[in-house]
Amino acid sequence: MQLFLAQLPQQLVNGLTLGAVYALIALGYSMVYGVLGLLNFAHGDVYMVGAFIGYGVFSVLVPVSTPLIPAALVIAVMLLIAMLGTGLLGVGIEWIAYRRLRNAPRIAPLISGLGVSFFLQNAILLTQSAKYRTYRTELLIPSSWRLDFGVAQLSATRILVIAVAVLLMIGLTWLVQRTRLGRAMRAVSIDREAAAMMGVDVDRVILLTFFIGSALAGTAGVLVGLVFNQVWHFMGFTAGLKGFTAAVLGGIGNIPGAMLGGLVLGMVETLAVGFISSTYKDVIAFVVLVLVLLIKPSGLLGTRAPQKV
Amino acid sequence: MSVDKFGQDEWVSQVGTRRRDETRLQLFIRRLRELPRLVQIGLLIALPLALPLLTANDYVLRVAGLICLYSVLALGLNIVVGFVGLLDLGYVAFFGMGGYGYALLSSAQFNIHVPTLISVPLMGLLAAGMGILLGLPSLRLSGDYLAIVTLGFGQVFVQLTTAMNRVQFPGSDQVINLTGGPNGIPDLDRLHVFGLSASSVTAYYYVLLASLVIVLIFVYRLNQSRLGRAWRAIREDSLAAEAMGIPTNRLRLLGFAIGAGIAGIMGAIFAAWQQSVFPGNFDVTLLITLYAMVVLGGVGSLYGMVLGAFVITALPEVLRPGTQIAGMELAQIAFYGGTLALLTILIRPRWRLVPILAALAVGGVIIHAVFAGLAPDALLVPDEKLSLISNLVQHWLPIPLNVPLATNLGNLAFFAVVILLVLLTQVPKNARIFPLIVTLYLLAFVWETRLSKEPSTTNLLLTGAMLVILMNYRPQGLFGQRRVEIA
Repeated sequence: MQLFLAQLPQQLVNGLTLGAVYALIALGYSMVYGVLGLLNFAHGDVYMVGAFIGYGVFSVLVPVSTPLIPAALVIAVMLLIAMLGTGLLGVGIEWIAYRRLRNAPRIAPLISGLGVSFFLQNAILLTQSAKYRTYRTELLIPSSWRLDFGVAQLSATRILVIAVAVLLMIGLTWLVQRTRLGRAMRAVSIDREAAAMMGVDVDRVILLTFFIGSALAGTAGVLVGLVFNQVWHFMGFTAGLKGFTAAVLGGIGNIPGAMLGGLVLGMVETLAVGFISSTYKDVIAFVVLVLVLLIKPSGLLGTRAPQKV
Repeated sequence: MSVDKFGQDEWVSQVGTRRRDETRLQLFIRRLRELPRLVQIGLLIALPLALPLLTANDYVLRVAGLICLYSVLALGLNIVVGFVGLLDLGYVAFFGMGGYGYALLSSAQFNIHVPTLISVPLMGLLAAGMGILLGLPSLRLSGDYLAIVTLGFGQVFVQLTTAMNRVQFPGSDQVINLTGGPNGIPDLDRLHVFGLSASSVTAYYYVLLASLVIVLIFVYRLNQSRLGRAWRAIREDSLAAEAMGIPTNRLRLLGFAIGAGIAGIMGAIFAAWQQSVFPGNFDVTLLITLYAMVVLGGVGSLYGMVLGAFVITALPEVLRPGTQIAGMELAQIAFYGGTLALLTILIRPRWRLVPILAALAVGGVIIHAVFAGLAPDALLVPDEKLSLISNLVQHWLPIPLNVPLATNLGNLAFFAVVILLVLLTQVPKNARIFPLIVTLYLLAFVWETRLSKEPSTTNLLLTGAMLVILMNYRPQGLFGQRRVEIA
């Protein structure tokens, strides 16, 4: 118990970081699900590709051990290029795998998405080999930069992750609640046909949803690379499962829900790993998912939609 | 189109026209179908039965056994995906449970040696029971949830088998090695029944062939039964099915459990055949491969499953590096020939193929000449000892001599090809010719520098791409029949 209390603050800090990342991934799932009613199986791999784009930019801008441009700028460029790249990747996925299948049987786009996911994994395997790639974050953000609260330490990298995630989430909320595009998205998610009749360009809204959701996942990939340093071609698979769990936990299709779900899942996982065992780290998310589905399938913030016939 | 008789609808009256439009392959399949049933079965059974007499090559028999194994797995998956219409992504975990269960009951791990006649059916029951447990919470929800829960289950299974080599049960200090971790469980008992023990490749081939025949008949009968009709009703419209008094949830669960049970039994047989189990035997790659077989064969079609399993298992074996015809790598012939065949099918009107190929050939030679002029020592030089195709290609494609450079350029070209292919689907038809030529040229470069060097990854890439393409353009698979959709 003594040990538990002593470690708790630090674990909470770690959980917050992880939760921020999960929330970013969960947002993409939830947005696409909201607009299309579709589970995007390739989403986890978009996140993985984002991590690799970040790694590529890093290798170009930091060829040996000193960055060519100021460190802050390196991080900004990494994030921006990864966002742009994964955003376009999301658009490509929508074109290739989902657009033709909007009115197909439910199972068809799922299998198609599975194919994209497998393709992306192996594309990275082919070009980057199966090695773990290491982000040398300490060259950008010295590990001595940290806030020390005595009971817990908050490194600058973690602050960066949390700050970026929070900023993006505020931006997304603003976009969805206050802009024309956001209104169009909400309209499409309520009723696609009615929205089209009201003059909403549904195809464009869906494309932009994919762009934004994928860009968020790509950012998450870079942030994970910065904090946990290692990236490899198979990282998207588990991350995708966890992002989805977070989205379901918060209520799928619900944007604040995805943020909350990510946070809760990150906390639960970190605490479980810290106090039980790290061996079963990835099993926890699965247990959470099954429990949510058993107890409250509509999620924490979701509302139960009556099934229309 | 005229309607010949009263009560005959347009679709039926057009049967003649449709038959005239069918391709040779379809005609061939129809002719086969029209043969007497006994002849059909005889043809289908005779060759596989006689295979061990025709060849003494263990490698061929092993591949044939693998085809049987995958066929059965695809048939089981087809019950869940094709008949009931559920996306089961944890199927491989049931296969793995059968494998690991058999391993624990028939090895020195805990020094238990259960007779085959008990352990194999037991694994089927165990997997089916686990299927029911997993299905209960998730089947009530929409299909998407089932997909993700089962996907998670499959992932958890692999992680648990990897991690459970040091299990400490609460209240005991003893650390138990349950699954052997990444090293798996070695030295399993062979299948043994009534004093006979399956020890040769041939014996296992017959075991697998027999299970294929049994499962094929079982699934066929199942599909024709009341239960099969109920499943189809659920798949097409579960609400209407429920209104007709079909207990939808219970039947879904039953289909899910039967699929899982088949996977469990095959897992046990697979473990005995391999005489060991590893976590890596049961990972996502196998899952995607099975889905590729089901989708390629045509979801819901039984012969399609066997054909899908045959194509997807045999093709990589036939095309593996080193197989040569007249000194030319078979895989290389397949790549260039296959691309050409695809172009012939896809490009309409066909005469457009001529300028495309001409531009490709001339452009390539010019580009090669330019690079050869700029840096004569940096390129691969055609060599008389090489095959005809390789020689031609090296006069046409500037491939750097420096291998790391070629690899890096190949990687870049790979991404370029993927991006170009995606864009090509969005460009209006008339504007496609030039980007198409560039894409094809780059594709050849990627093939020579990367794809042909990494055959196993290429195989997986193609599997993924195939799933997407089939789902989008030919959801009924290669051999399935297009269903008439009534909207």
